[in-house]
Amino acid sequence: MPYAFMMLPVIYLAIFMFWPLGRQIWLSFTRTRLANPNRSEFIGLRNYERLFDNPDFYTALYVTVTYSLLAVLIGVAVGTVAALAMNRPFPGRTLVRAILLFGWAVPNVAAALIWLWIFNERSGVLNSIVTGLGLERITWLTSTDMALSSILLVTVWQVAPFVMLVMLAALQSVPQEVKEAARVDGADALNIFRAVTLPHVMPTLQLVSLLVAVWSIRRFDIIYLLTGGGPIGSTSTLIVKLRQVAFENHDLGLASAYGVIGLILALSVAAVHAAFNHHRQKGQS
Amino acid sequence: MNRLTSATKTLLQALLVLLLVVFGGFPIYWMATTALSTNAELYNSGQVPWPQLSNLPTALEELTKLPLLRWLGNTGIVAVGTTLLSLILGSLAGYGLSRFRFHGKGIIGFLLFMTQVVPEALILVPLYAMFISLGLLNSLTGLVLANVGFSLPVAAFIIKGAIDAVPYEIEESAAVDNCPRLSVLTMIVLPIIAPSLAAAAVIAFFAGWNEYLFAATFLMDNSLWPASVGLASFIGQYETPLSAVMSAALIFSLPAVVFFLLIQRKIVAGITAGAVKG
Repeated sequence: MPYAFMMLPVIYLAIFMFWPLGRQIWLSFTRTRLANPNRSEFIGLRNYERLFDNPDFYTALYVTVTYSLLAVLIGVAVGTVAALAMNRPFPGRTLVRAILLFGWAVPNVAAALIWLWIFNERSGVLNSIVTGLGLERITWLTSTDMALSSILLVTVWQVAPFVMLVMLAALQSVPQEVKEAARVDGADALNIFRAVTLPHVMPTLQLVSLLVAVWSIRRFDIIYLLTGGGPIGSTSTLIVKLRQVAFENHDLGLASAYGVIGLILALSVAAVHAAFNHHRQKGQS
Repeated sequence: MNRLTSATKTLLQALLVLLLVVFGGFPIYWMATTALSTNAELYNSGQVPWPQLSNLPTALEELTKLPLLRWLGNTGIVAVGTTLLSLILGSLAGYGLSRFRFHGKGIIGFLLFMTQVVPEALILVPLYAMFISLGLLNSLTGLVLANVGFSLPVAAFIIKGAIDAVPYEIEESAAVDNCPRLSVLTMIVLPIIAPSLAAAAVIAFFAGWNEYLFAATFLMDNSLWPASVGLASFIGQYETPLSAVMSAALIFSLPAVVFFLLIQRKIVAGITAGAVKG
């Protein structure tokens, strides 16, 4: 009986998610060209050898790890601070919350268009401000030392609202009696935060960090549209590289190898999270 | 002393909120002012920092030069298709996961969670190859089929969570009347969880609405382009009709923003539930 309900969804996912995924992993062990993607020749680990011999790969790995790590650190920090600021009632809070959510709600392509214009070297508003302050124009997206930071700024804009919503929910579920009791016992605000609030929201904090990390590893649109992975690979993550090698160099085997490393990275983040969870649940029982 | 710290706290909070509002809201404000500027202002004399409502007629006229309606129509088709298929399959899976104990349930839950870790780009090439063989390349149907792989699991988690909260007795009384299980689901359970169903629908709808990577790869015909691909096609072009593109981007974003604001809590619950239960 349960199988009758599960059959269609499972078959669907098998065909349109897991078969392609398996095939992609298989492709990484073959020589396959885009012109004829259904004909491939098994070559074992040769694509991975090519990958590990290629400095581009190490750049992409470094960019992916740096980008994801900073997205988590900054995105979660900004989101959590926003949640703390929004946790105390003030007039107009609903409206402010709506405004803060813009970055999360706007479609990626629209976000890319706005930010491209904001970052525009000659007529963009950021450089108007910079030159207004009497400083040199900044090449936000076209210099190797600024491009990743600019992408991170956009990422934080998109990710922090989600973090804020989740953390706000967690903060509002902190038991008030415990906080009250601590206050009566003479604990100051900082101590209450450390001893009561923080432990209570820790699991949530961990969960959003995992989500932001995985999203950053997966992320394609915003990076591809803003910089195309350039300049000189300074923003090309493994996933951007996968799309480039597949559709610009037509080398599906090598592209797949990039993707497999990206998947392993995302899975290891999820595994670390699962291990933490397991540990905590054991500690509680 | 206590009052002083409280006043400082309020001031600090106000400053922080102001800073966040500027950071969060400025890009949207700028999109609107850009949409209401003329291209001469944007590129030559410099952009006016506030919206010029007097430019509205010109902006609208510029906008009509873009095939925005066709793009939004295609986007709508993809989004509706993604929603319907996700809801149908997600309801079946959600009900199955909620109401039955069976062999392999844990594995299926894990696989559903896995889909949220898989980068879209990773199944792009095999899907591309598959769609060539099936004749689904360059079709909106193929796009829907690809999107649902990612939105079905989220729908399933939301629906499962909602059904978990529905008392089983309601179904038992129906079962006495010899009602088939599928009818119990569609006639009794789904109406009860309508709010969650709506949340799942909106999430799937906007996953389809926003999607870019699959659309940009699978569609060659620009008459099939959804708005995401159409708008992105202006990036890197030498002469971009920037104010018109910004108006179009604003119109394209508006439904997403409105719906995200309306059901933010449900979306958050859905996304985090999927991650927790995996």
